[in-house]
Formats: sequence, structure tokens, C-alpha cells
Amino acid sequence: MRWRLAIITYIALWLTSALAAYEEFHELLTFRPLSDGKLAARFTFTTSLNGTHPRDPSNLADEDQSQHYTVFPLALGQVLREYAVTELHLNLNAGKWDYDHWGYPDEPGVGTGAELWAWMGESATRSVDERWKGLRNALSGQFCASLGSLDDQRTTSPELTFRPEGSLPSSGGAHRLRHGTLPSEHVCTENLTPFLKLLPCKSLSGIASLLNPHRLFDTDWHGLSVHVRYLENEGIEVRLSFQSVFDPVRYTGGRRAWSLQSVFDRVIDRSCPVARSSEIRVAIPKEENNAQITPDFHNSDGEHAIFDVLNASKPLDVAMNWVNESAFDYNTVLSGVPLTHISVRRTLKGSSQSRGRLAVSITNNMPITIQTSYLESMPWLLQFYLHTLQVHSNGVSRDDLVSIVSCIPSVPHARPTLFQAILTLPPKSTLDISMDVIKPFLRYTEHPPDAQRGWDLPPAVLVPLLPANATVLTDHPELSLSEHKMDGFGYPIRSPRRMYTPVLLVDLATPDFSMPYNVIIMSCTLIALIFGMVFNLLTRKFTLVRVSSEP
Amino acid sequence: MANALGMYRTVKRLGIPDSNIILMLADDAACNSRNKFPGCVYPAAARDLDLYGDNIEVDYRGYEVTVENFIRVLTGRMDSSVPRSKRLLSDDRSNVFVYMTGHGGNEFLKFQDNEEISAFDIADAFEQMWQKKRYNEIFFMIDTCQANTMYSKFYSPNILATGSSKLDENSYSYENDMDLGISVIDRFTHYVLRFMESVNKTSQATMQDLFDMYDPDKFASHAGVRSDLFNRPIDQTLITDFFGGVSQAEVLAPEEEFYYSSTPEGGHQQESESFTHVDSATTSGAVKSNNDEIHGYSDLLSVVQDLQREPPKRDTTGLFRTWVSSGLMFALVAWVSMRK
Repeated sequence: MRWRLAIITYIALWLTSALAAYEEFHELLTFRPLSDGKLAARFTFTTSLNGTHPRDPSNLADEDQSQHYTVFPLALGQVLREYAVTELHLNLNAGKWDYDHWGYPDEPGVGTGAELWAWMGESATRSVDERWKGLRNALSGQFCASLGSLDDQRTTSPELTFRPEGSLPSSGGAHRLRHGTLPSEHVCTENLTPFLKLLPCKSLSGIASLLNPHRLFDTDWHGLSVHVRYLENEGIEVRLSFQSVFDPVRYTGGRRAWSLQSVFDRVIDRSCPVARSSEIRVAIPKEENNAQITPDFHNSDGEHAIFDVLNASKPLDVAMNWVNESAFDYNTVLSGVPLTHISVRRTLKGSSQSRGRLAVSITNNMPITIQTSYLESMPWLLQFYLHTLQVHSNGVSRDDLVSIVSCIPSVPHARPTLFQAILTLPPKSTLDISMDVIKPFLRYTEHPPDAQRGWDLPPAVLVPLLPANATVLTDHPELSLSEHKMDGFGYPIRSPRRMYTPVLLVDLATPDFSMPYNVIIMSCTLIALIFGMVFNLLTRKFTLVRVSSEP
Repeated sequence: MANALGMYRTVKRLGIPDSNIILMLADDAACNSRNKFPGCVYPAAARDLDLYGDNIEVDYRGYEVTVENFIRVLTGRMDSSVPRSKRLLSDDRSNVFVYMTGHGGNEFLKFQDNEEISAFDIADAFEQMWQKKRYNEIFFMIDTCQANTMYSKFYSPNILATGSSKLDENSYSYENDMDLGISVIDRFTHYVLRFMESVNKTSQATMQDLFDMYDPDKFASHAGVRSDLFNRPIDQTLITDFFGGVSQAEVLAPEEEFYYSSTPEGGHQQESESFTHVDSATTSGAVKSNNDEIHGYSDLLSVVQDLQREPPKRDTTGLFRTWVSSGLMFALVAWVSMRK
């Protein structure tokens, strides 16, 4: 009898553990020495909740199932389930990503400032827009950022550029995209603190212990991002990522050599016990053979030296040195060819405070014709005159190279412009697009406290698409535009290579802020004058005084 | 900015969690590219103590630091989707500490060099909090020029207030950091923080001890205290009543425990402590409360209902006043024109 009970208990336990969602936590740190002597580092913390689905938006009215996680961040899970978000991407970046010298970033979302986009299923009980508002407020509280001000004046749905990176559940209604950017948002320790609290080992052990705010915010470029996606047959995956570009030449006074100690001011003392895998990968420079990586790495896939943090001897301090290089030679940087397929420059011309001209110049660095999508998601602070759009390729007018996919004009004080187009770039040439814009007047209360500084405008986003002539690819595999890279855990990174232009600053006409007081004083004066005159006229008696002629 | 962060550090050190602190900082000084020491804010030129540290949560920052948001935090009138970390979740058992600093003047404090909050606004907000049972006691501390004028308009009970300088007096900075080229902290806050460093969670130091430390020679201004609204003697009010997260647990006998546990207030854990805090040129503020239940929301609804009931009354009196005053005007004009 007793053994039967034991077996039943055992089976019941086994069943519950098998039925319960199966969670995994992986961490990865990659280093990539850049051509201009800088060092790109990317932390990736992936938590997957296997065998689960995003909440079905049609049951939003019902009581939600209870949530029990071991390593999955509960604070984020609650937000995702409350607003039934299928896919979510939040980027908080500072600095300008230099595509020409640094190449494509490992995480594509590198636009300056805050960027939030989410795919959500439609629901009869709570509309997508209502949940979008709740989502950005919840995230603004979660990550100490001003995301609450990503209101309707900054929200668009550019479905051409921001495709879902995971899969969308086939059940339920259609899915909608909401996207917003806040280019003036800055990133600091208060954003990193809640970010670290979402990790199972916080910043106490594993590679997360290297996240030292005083060093991370001293970099040429830094950004943190949160990505949530649903992978069919897998489950929900949360990827927390921190990307930064260090300048070891500045730290060492001329040399490119770096180590964990010199870059982060910390080494790894302990590994995170709940991590399924914990790796450090260092990209081995291809053309230089004097690069030396210490200590001996455990594994290599040809391009990367791989360190297994779980089994490495502690403390672990990965270092890279260029033997026989006493000082980094910047001349090699100047002669280098751009590392990306296209180079983009966007400027706002004109000194007037009422009108200007937006000019975008895109250079195709490839010997083949490529296409790219072009997105402007512009607040109504800049209004496009689309009929003035001019396209020149190497100085020759070529209107046929632009096909406008959609353009939703802005509504002042309410809605931003959404402009999406497909551009065809002839090989090794520059395409110049320009159009007139007007700068509207703002209401007195719409100006920010530092109105004279101007307004930051969100970056334009370009996505290079597959070349029209796909047979070229077989001859030139390096031209492949879509990434078929796998991340460290066998999941394909299906993100396209988005390119963000730097943000623009527009100078809008600012009123004299003391004007209301002037108006009050002026009108008071007028009223006093009028009243005085009327009162005088009414109260005084005008009589003819006869002055006697006699002296 | 170091003023506000210094207070933040002190209350956090004394055991109040980030969830009970609302910190408002208008400046991004720590990560601004012009800061020579990224991610750091120092309260002294010696740079031995980093106030920004590794673990900080700023609840309102940048353009979010406005007079409207500050009053909304105090009164709890918020949009329903505003997250808990941005709300003051206090009730009638919460002690609230409000600290404000920035550029001020006679009965006002500037926010972001753009708008200002007046002494009347804060006094009315506190009265609203009192009526809606959002605090048990308030300790209000302000470090601006002419700071004492800011608390002169308070009229709600159980408020203890202190300020750095009298009317027509300036509050001066303590020292300059020549590497950064700015003044790092104000005198009043510097000495208060120095005093607070001697306080720990179990300290029996009272408010009177804090006020006795005030020295016009050191501050270069006359710091003031207002205790006429406060019901307890200040020499029996512990500093940790406002600055520290000290919870008192009562140990009950087993049979009594059984009896009590059937009532909703089973555990008898008395929590106090709350904290608010604003710095305005670098406008920053922080608010704390220890009670995490959402009382604020029901209060909000009742306020809205009151407002909805009021307008008709206001309309009739307004109409009456308009007609009476215009009638008087007509009578005056008629009298003047008829006069011969």
C-alpha cells in the first residue's frame, strides 16, 4: 500500500513539474574590437519561458491566471499579461552610433533616446490604444524613464519597418503595432538599477557583476534594451541587453589593449548558479594576427574565442593585447571603407524659424543596386510639403527611384506624420532626397521649460532590403543583407538590419515668455485710460465761462 | 541636486525602501556629458562620497518635474494608469517627509526656471491631504532663499516645518568644486546631512536635537522652525519618526494572538514614515509612504464626486453676484448722469 502511494505521489510530482512552464536563463557577453580602436561590448541576458503563450487579448475581461516564475522577471511578466502584449521592444540609448566605422550593431535598435514599440492583439474589451497607454505608463514606472510622455503626438504604426521579430499567435484577432520615440530622453544609473533588478542574479554574480554604472556611462555610446517576443513552439523569451562602445585608447593612453579590469573596473569572481549557460565571446580580428587573448580560451568557433564562465577558474579577467603595438594608429581609420552597405546623412537646412528643407543623402557603398525602406515618423513640430519632394542621383533628377508606400500627414497638436517609402539605390552612387518643411507655431503652454534649446526630432529609420537581382548574392555572399546569424542559444536572430540616422534639433519660434504679463499690464493701462476718460466725461460739467473783457 | 540626493541617501540609509520614496530630479547632471565624473554626484569638493551610487531610482525626471505633477503626487489625483512607483500611497497612519530645494523667493519656489509653486499652493495641497486622510504627520523641510516664507501659509494640523533662511535672507552654498566649476551643496543641507550621519535606525535623537544644531553663523542665514501646528512636543519626536523605516512589532501571547488574528489588523505592525522631497533649480523631490495599500484611489473618486456636485451651487451664486454688481454699476452710472 505504501509503495503504491509513493508511486502515485512520484507520478503526481513528475506531472506537475512537467506541466509547469520550463524556464531557462542564459547570459552572454560579446566583445568586438572596432576598426577605430574602440571596443563594442554587448551583454545579453535571455530568459525563456518555454511552453507558454502570450495572454489572449480576448480574455482581458476575465481574471488572469496566477503567475509563478523562478527566474523569469515577475515585474515584467505582470506588465505583459496585464496589457496582453505579444511582442515588446524598449531601447534607451545615448550617443550616436557610427555605422561607417563600427558596422552594424549587434542589437539593431540604436536610435538616440528612448524607443518603444509593441505588437498587441486586438481585443473587444480593451482597445489597443488604451493598453498602449497603460503599457508605456507601466514601463515608465518600471524603468524610471519619461515614457509616459510618448502620447498620441508621438505614436505611429510603421508596420513596414518594424516587423515582429518573433511569431504572432495565430489565434485571436489581428495584431497591431504601436511605435513611439523620445529622442531627448537620457540614460543613467536610475535606468540601470531597475534593469539589474530583473535579472535572477542581480549584479552580484556572473557576467552581470561587470555592469558598473560608473564605467558604463563613461562610454562613447551606451544603451540598454528589453526585448520580449513569442516564438511559436518555444514560448516567451525576454532578452535584456546592454550595449556599449568603450574607448580603451583613452583609458590606456594610446594603446588598444583592454581587459575586464581596465574596462569595467571589475572582474568576475563568481558565476551565476541559475544560469544554464554563461559565456564570454571575444571576436578575433581577421586581418591582424598580432592580437593576443588571455587567458587560454575554452573553445572557439573560428571567429570568436569563447570563455565558459561557469567552469572557468575565478577570478576571471579576460584581456586582449596587440603585441608590438605601442600606440594605436588612427591613420588606418581614415582610409577605411564604410562597413555598412549604405551610409546615411540627414540634415535640416534653412535658418528661418518658419520654414526649412529636410535633406537626406544616402550613399550606396555596394557595387550592386539595392533597395531600402525609408521611414520618417515625425512629430507635428515639422510638417512636410510632400509636393516639393526632389530626388537626385549623383546630381541627376531621378524621381523614379522613390516609391512612396504611405504618408499620413500630421494633425497639429494631435498626430505625427508617418512617411514610408521604398528607395532604389543605384550601385556606388549617392541619392539625395529633399523636401520643404514648415515649422509651426506652438501654443504658449506647449513649450518645454528650456524652450530656447529647441526640439529633438526622432531619427529616420532605413532598412536595407534584399537586392532586386538576387542572383548577385551567390557570387557575393558578403553582400547578404538579411542576417542569418544565430545567437548563442540556437535561436535565429530574425531582426533585420535597421539603420537609424542621428537625431535632429529644430529651432521653433519661441514667444517672449513675459508676454502675458505685458498683455496684462497693457490691457490694464488701456482700461484705466478708457474708464478715466468716460468717467471724466460723465462727471464733469462743461459750462461756458464768460471772461469779462474788463481787466 | 546634491541637496536632494543627500536627503535621498539619508532616508534610504535609515531603512526606507525605494518604493516609498518619490524622487524628482529635473537635471541629468550625473550622466550629462559635461560631467567629468560620469554617473557620480558628489556633495563635497573632496569627492569622497558618491550620492548617485549604483542603486538609485528617480521617479520623476526631466520635463516630468512640474508643479502640476508635484501637487498631483501630494494630493493623489492621478490617471488610473500611473504606476505605483510614481504615487504617494499614504494614509492616515503615514508620516510624510517633504524636502524641497532650488531657487526660491518670498512665498514661492521656482521649478525648472519656468514656473513656480507658491506657499499657498503647498498649504492648500497639505490641507487637501489632511481632509482626504493622506497623512498622519508631515515634516516639511525647505532649503531655498527666503525659505521660511514657504511654510508661513500652512494651516493644516500636524505639520512640523523648517526652512533655511528668513524673509530677505539668502541661503548660501557650502563650497565650490573647482574641477566641476559649480557649487556642490548648500550650507543648511550640508549641516543637516552631517547631523543625520550621526543618526542610525535605533537612534533616540529628537527633532529638538536637530533644531538645536542650527547655527546662524555657520548657515549664514537664520533657519526657522514652525511647530505651532504640530501636536506633539518636538523634544519627544524622534528623528526616525520621519526619516527612518522603523517598524514596531508587538509580541502577543498565543491565545491573544488567536483572538486578534481574526480581526483585520492581525499582525499589529505599526509602520510610520513617509517622505517627500523636491529640489527645483535642479528640481528634485521625493515622497515616501510606508503603507502600500491603495487608499489614494478611493479618495480620488470621492474628490471627483464632490467636484461634480459643486458646480450648480457655484453657478447660482456667481450669477447672483454678476447681476448684483452690474446692477450696482448701472445705478451708479444713472446716478452720475442724473445728477445736475
